[in-house]
Amino acid sequence: MIDSSGAQVVLASSSDDNHPPENITDGNSKTFWMSTGMFPQEFVIRFAETTNISSLTVESYNIKHLRIEKNTSPSAAQFEPVTQEEFERTEGHLQTNAISLNGCSATHLRFIIAAGYDHFVSVHRVSVQTS
Amino acid sequence: MVKLRARCLLVGDAAVGKSSLSHIFYSDGSLFQKNYSLTTGVELLTKCINIPETNDSVELYILDSAGKETLVEGCEKMWGEPSLLCLVFDLTSEQSFANCSHWMERVHAHCKGLHVPGVLVGNKSDLSARREVQASVAREWAQSQGLEYHETSAKEMENCDAPLLSLAQAFYSLYQERRETIQNLSPG
Repeated sequence: MIDSSGAQVVLASSSDDNHPPENITDGNSKTFWMSTGMFPQEFVIRFAETTNISSLTVESYNIKHLRIEKNTSPSAAQFEPVTQEEFERTEGHLQTNAISLNGCSATHLRFIIAAGYDHFVSVHRVSVQTS
Repeated sequence: MVKLRARCLLVGDAAVGKSSLSHIFYSDGSLFQKNYSLTTGVELLTKCINIPETNDSVELYILDSAGKETLVEGCEKMWGEPSLLCLVFDLTSEQSFANCSHWMERVHAHCKGLHVPGVLVGNKSDLSARREVQASVAREWAQSQGLEYHETSAKEMENCDAPLLSLAQAFYSLYQERRETIQNLSPG
């Protein structure tokens, strides 16, 4: 099941009114959230309830290093590390990366963009495969 | 409305007036330190610049980094990956201008191939009788390095805003350019 409805972004470290963080979970890869300078950058996604996640697909641009953390708490605090990924650089098209999370259960997922291939990065869609 | 954030590296030889300039930026021109005090590490100042005729702004995190040779290496560890560069020399010191190319090399090593917009600032323009570096020479070198050239007098508080405004505008243009590119991307 692919689902990002019922999930919402509850925190983002950058904000451009024209490219708000809600664009990450709207299911449309044409709309995006854009960072507005410096690293690290982060955003936190909250699920309606604790969810078992088999994998994630992240569509983005110019992300170099991404760390993912999670918790199973109702508040967006006390995260534990899940995985980290090095994305390949793309030109002219989006980066699409599938990340396996082995059915881990989470209420919040925290995405920390530690480094980019440019001053600014964008995230177009995060889709979640549940198990 | 958008607020951008940029890490702005402030470098150049010792005693060219980096800290004087940064304190004037910070205090909106109300503070010139009359007594010299050598910066031994990296001092962080933040300054928010509004982009004219928009609701947008750029928040500069200015890293005022020690210029003294023996201290530079320790400071470099704190530079991180700069977004912008402000390279300062003393108009009354040929040597401080000549050393600018060394500063460029040092900074480039931290940029990881990224384009970092920058300005070259000739400070102490009030000391016209002691001037050793002509504006035309400095401007030509700045151009060859892709830097915009400004002359300032921290002491007389002349033109001190210009370099910062120019940096903020360069970063803002870069953001708009990148945003355009991203809007035109095809799906992965």
